[in-house]
Amino acid sequence: MSEEEAFDLPGCLVRVRARDQAAARELVEHLYPLVIRIVRSHLPRRVAEEDLAQDIFLKMFTRLEQYQGTVPFPHWVSRIAVTTCIDQLRAQKRRPEFRWSDLSENEAQLLDNVLTNDDESPPDEALEARELVGKLLGQLKPDDQLVIRLLDLEQKTIREISALTGWNGALVKVRAFRARRKLHKLFTALQRKERS
Amino acid sequence: MKPSEFKWQRLVRAARRATDARDEAAPYGFATRVAAQALAARESSNPLMERLAWRALGVACLVAVLGVAANYSLLQNGNAEVEGFFTPDDPAAIVLEVS
Repeated sequence: MSEEEAFDLPGCLVRVRARDQAAARELVEHLYPLVIRIVRSHLPRRVAEEDLAQDIFLKMFTRLEQYQGTVPFPHWVSRIAVTTCIDQLRAQKRRPEFRWSDLSENEAQLLDNVLTNDDESPPDEALEARELVGKLLGQLKPDDQLVIRLLDLEQKTIREISALTGWNGALVKVRAFRARRKLHKLFTALQRKERS
Repeated sequence: MKPSEFKWQRLVRAARRATDARDEAAPYGFATRVAAQALAARESSNPLMERLAWRALGVACLVAVLGVAANYSLLQNGNAEVEGFFTPDDPAAIVLEVS
């Protein structure tokens, strides 16, 4: 039996509502991998992942009485995690303009490769690509950043994004469109700078 | 697809291949600390709300009593003033049957 199957989530929630500290600890341990994955994918700059995870869990406990059971509990917690991350992103100042000099040597090489090479196969440098994507996304508004991350990196559907963020489908599409237009401008500017 | 969109998708495809090897288990002591903090906050927040609600009720009662006391004379003389205010042929007085 897997750990997922062995964990009695409804029973644990009943005990947490009765203020059982051991149950609260088990719940945190059970949900930590889910929460930390979300935190790591949307982590704002200069925010420690553990601090953000702690904020998310404290919110979860504070709002526990509001959980009606209409959606699975992990989905409900995911939504708290995503909205907490986006609140943190919104609270941050915008990043300064993107410059080639901000990139590491490997990232600059990779970007150069992507901009100049029309080859269809993705470059091999996966980790550098991830860092570079993060830096490029940092140029977008927090909401647009989130939509592109969820759509392109995590390959979620519009419906899934709506469920996670609480935004309706039309709003998600509008934000994705706006973000792609901004990325297009960014790529064009980078290409111009690269050529000059 | 625009060339820039194509380049972005190429980059994203590469980024998706990056695996995150970091440990996903809660750090030692994290769950205990968070659970204790959360339950302590829940326990302290409820009596606080209860105390505030009782205080608010007390203040509201006091304001009501003071209001009645301050306007007691007006309430006593209210009918006389109303009668003096209306004339017998006043339509409002006819409707209200004050006269």
